[in-house]
This record gives sequence, structure tokens and C-alpha cells, in this order.
Amino acid sequence: MQSKLSDIELIDQTLAGDQSAYADLVKRHQRFVFTLALRFAKNREDAEEISQDCFVKAYRSLSLFQRQSKFSTWLYTIVYTTAMTTLRKKRVETSSIDDEDNTIQIESNGRYDENNAENRSRSFYLNQAIAQLLPDDATIITLFYKGEQSLEEIAQALGIEANTVKVKLFRARQRLKEKLERNLKHEAKELI
Amino acid sequence: MNNIEEKLWNYIDGSCLPDEQQAISLLIEQDELYRSKYLELLQLNQEFNAIELEEPPMAFTYNVMEAIRAEHAQKPLKASINLGIIGGISAFFIFVILALVIIALASIQWSSINPGLPVTNFQLPNFSKYFSGPVIKGFLYFDVILGLFLFDAYLRKKSFSKQS
Repeated sequence: MQSKLSDIELIDQTLAGDQSAYADLVKRHQRFVFTLALRFAKNREDAEEISQDCFVKAYRSLSLFQRQSKFSTWLYTIVYTTAMTTLRKKRVETSSIDDEDNTIQIESNGRYDENNAENRSRSFYLNQAIAQLLPDDATIITLFYKGEQSLEEIAQALGIEANTVKVKLFRARQRLKEKLERNLKHEAKELI
Repeated sequence: MNNIEEKLWNYIDGSCLPDEQQAISLLIEQDELYRSKYLELLQLNQEFNAIELEEPPMAFTYNVMEAIRAEHAQKPLKASINLGIIGGISAFFIFVILALVIIALASIQWSSINPGLPVTNFQLPNFSKYFSGPVIKGFLYFDVILGLFLFDAYLRKKSFSKQS
């Protein structure tokens, strides 16, 4: 069961030497951090490595957290920089929009079952479409809809202007919409 | 069309100015194109809100905490040096150097170097009486006790860090 204490209270306890308080912080944010990492890494093993690295880095620098922003915003800044650095190191190619191999990988990740197409819901196609987006687009969509982050906070996490985030969010939504429609059309054709 | 969508997204997000908000609201009421587009985007917005987060592996938290513990255990000696010890050693050396300088200066026969200088009657205390047998024995005995005490503290600390 997760602690009811606020992030700041847990940080204070961690800084006072209580490691279990930090474990509570990890439990609270792990799903979101892992999802963000997955937007960059595209496979679970790399995403796990990135997100684990993020939490260790955050622990190491916890005393430097100035509390001028939310802990989650600060943490997402670490996720973003760590993911970029790790990807650069591993030289993972970002998937292009029309990458057929990538579509196959996403389908296998999403446990695609050719004989059970009717089970696939619209949310399945949505997740599939997000996985096909470029990491930056997928990150902005995830931060905005699931991270409870304002445009200003996203701007802070990504190190860009709030207006740029607004434009990027608009474009990311457009692309996501296009991909979703394309995937659904493709599915309809398959069924016919 | 993009312009309409951009305006409508800003309207949905509530990120436009109050005047713009009112104007768009009016357009949605009166313009069929705006209304249909608005409903389409509103539905998309609801779907985007319902995106599910991925679940990390079961042992994720445990792995993170293990990595942190391992990092603590591997902390380099440089990072765990006690500044008090460094200060103590520095103070000892400074004291010894100052004592040597004073002894050296005190042992110089200034009058023989420059007969014009006034003769000072500065005399060093007779150290030899302090270094008599019982004093040295007492000092060594104290050192042995202190050494054992510090060794015991070190072993206790080591066994405690192993347990945690």
C-alpha cells in the first residue's frame, strides 16, 4: 500500500535517512516514469533500465531539488535527459512513421492475435498509434494527458518555451489522430 | 482547417484568452463546421485522457532500492573520508612544524651572528625532564588504549553496515 504522505514529506524523510520513504516515492511515480521511458526506448528492457537509472539519479541529487516546481516535473526532466543520453549511447534509431518493421514489433508487444481481431478495442489502436509516434510527440502527449503537467511544467521538464510546447502538442495530436485513423482504416480493410 | 483545429484545441485546453474563449464558444453554437469539429476533437480528447500507463515489472521498486544500496556500498574512499580526521592530522603537522621552528630559532646564538643585536635571555624549557621513563611509558600505554578503542569502533561500524 502506498503512503498518503505528500511527495515533499517523503523527500524530507528520505533526506533524514529513511530509505523506505524513497521506496514509496518510487512506487508512486514508477508507472509514469516507465511509460515515459518506453516512449523513447520502444522496448521494455531498455525502458526499465532508463527508468531505474532515473530513480537512482534522482535519489543521488535529491538534496539539490529546490522545491520550486513539483517533484514530478523535476523527475520528468531527469527522465527526459536520461532517455536522450541512453538512446544516444545505444544509437537506437527512432522509428520512422512508415516503418513496417516497427509496426510488426508494436503488434507483437501489444500481443497481437490475428485470429482474435474483434478483441482489439479502440484503446488498443490508440496505444499502437502512440507507439508509432516519434519519441518527442509521444512524450508531450503522455506528459500532458497522464502526467498532470501544465504547458509551463512540460516546458520546464523539456527545457523549451511554453509556446513551443503548445505548438508541439498541437502537432503531436494531429499526428496521433492521423495514425489512429490510418490504423483503424487498415484494420477495416483487413476485416473486409 | 488546421487553424480551426488549433483554435478548438486551445478552447478545449482552456489555454486561450477569455475574449477568444467567448468568440469560439459563439462559433461552436452558430457554425456547423465548428460544432462538428469541436465534437470530434472533444471525443478524441476523452480518448487521449483514457490512455493507459504501462506497468513496470513487479520487482521494479526492489531493483531501484537495491541499486541505491549497492551504490552506497561501493562509495569510493575519497567520498567517505572524515573531514575531522583530515583537520586533526593537519593540526598535528602544523603543531610539530611550529615547535621545530621555535626550537631552531631558540637554539641560534644571535649575538655571535651579529654582535650589535641585543642579547635575549630566552631559554627553552628543559624537555628532557618530561621525557623520563614513566612519562613515556604512560604515553605509550595511552596510545595502546586509544588504538584498541578506535579499532573496536571500526569493527562495530563494519559489522553494522554489513547488517543494514
